[in-house]
Amino acid sequence: MELLDRYLQAIRRYLPNRRQDDIIAELRANMESQIEDREGELGRPLTEGEFEDLLRKMGPPVVVASRYQPQQYLIGPNLFPLYFYVLRVAMLWAFIVTVLVSAVVLPLINQSIHVVDSLSHIPGVLIQVAGWVTIVFAAIEYASTRYPQICPPLEGITRKWHPNSLPELDEETVRAGKPRSFAMAVAEIVFGSLFLGWLLLVPQYPFLIMGPGAAFVKVSPFELAPVWWTFFWWVVGLNMFQIAWKCVDLARGKWRFRNRIQHVAFKAVGLIPILVLLTARDQIYVLLKNPGANQLKYGQNVAQMNNGIHLAFTVICAIVVIQLAWDLWVMARDGYRRRGLAS
Amino acid sequence: MTVAENLFENLRLELRRGCLTLAVLAQLRQEHYGYTLRKDLAERGLEIDESTLYPLLRRLESQGLLVSQWREEEKRNKRFYRLSAEGEQILVRLLSEWNVINASISRILEPLDADDNKGQARK
Repeated sequence: MELLDRYLQAIRRYLPNRRQDDIIAELRANMESQIEDREGELGRPLTEGEFEDLLRKMGPPVVVASRYQPQQYLIGPNLFPLYFYVLRVAMLWAFIVTVLVSAVVLPLINQSIHVVDSLSHIPGVLIQVAGWVTIVFAAIEYASTRYPQICPPLEGITRKWHPNSLPELDEETVRAGKPRSFAMAVAEIVFGSLFLGWLLLVPQYPFLIMGPGAAFVKVSPFELAPVWWTFFWWVVGLNMFQIAWKCVDLARGKWRFRNRIQHVAFKAVGLIPILVLLTARDQIYVLLKNPGANQLKYGQNVAQMNNGIHLAFTVICAIVVIQLAWDLWVMARDGYRRRGLAS
Repeated sequence: MTVAENLFENLRLELRRGCLTLAVLAQLRQEHYGYTLRKDLAERGLEIDESTLYPLLRRLESQGLLVSQWREEEKRNKRFYRLSAEGEQILVRLLSEWNVINASISRILEPLDADDNKGQARK
């Protein structure tokens, strides 16, 4: 019986204090009855091996004790869908805000802060956000399980809904295009953000865009006109706008199908930086670093370059305008057809 | 254990869980202590591990479906359980639900059983 005492003692360690004596007394009574019964059948006391088999069949002390504990969840199945939704939204917004602050605001405020160093804090921030969201939901689960009168279970996404509240069928769904996966939508945001980071590093490290040619630009007699800065910040701003819109779509669960309005809107605002260049004063895009000394030698080249750039952007602008007009016409035509079908 | 075996085991446990509760409640219309309850259920073909049954009794008691008392029997203190008044009501409702499900499953399986019998007759 020493083995039984040791077994029960081991179970006791894992039981809640106030119920230990009661549970152990009951377990002892049941097990002693079982042993007596078995010994009665065999007509002899159990051997040590048989005793060990009996205890092994009963299970490890920690497992036996755990079954006396109430079933517990950190976040239960009722609350989990809401938790997962909030976690996704919180992580996305934390990502957007951190990228904006790290890549734009901090480097602008303090020139000594390196964008890459600043961006390296993102994983830490995301882990913290996930941790806090989890703690809050675990606390809600704990409170609603133990004190349901004070903290009733959240019903939001499980019961309080009505079929009428379901969103309209996506128009793209009707067209039966292949839906995008969640991973694809997230990848677009991640790669968009990486592109943005790369773009922001370009002024500091021109070789990222020009490669070895950056060294030539440094020693060449030419320099870019200030209008390129306006163009650059418009491109940065529009990229941020696109990433933010995609994040909002992801948070709203609208990533499966490309929104046609969004597509047209991106194309329309994409015209702005092109128009900035086309309306540059005197259509000057390239300047001489030292006009006094180099005007005679390179003046003709500068004029040709400025004309060439202006012509190139005029062509690009025309192409984008034609595409935009086509997209708008298709949208209007589909809208007209849908109205016709509906009536 | 293969994935299929693991899946089967999970489904089997899920299926058994509710049935065990029903069987225990039904058996405790008569008073029992843990060990004799387990023996009685086993004799009727329903084996339950000790480490499952004893905590289940506690849980059902804490839910108000069973009542218990310590009493001496054969020179040993034992905790005897029986169905409470609330437990009796719940048992009646659960048995009714069980009968509905059982009858439905039988009706669902009837065509399959008939096909099997025809197949065997052809052989």
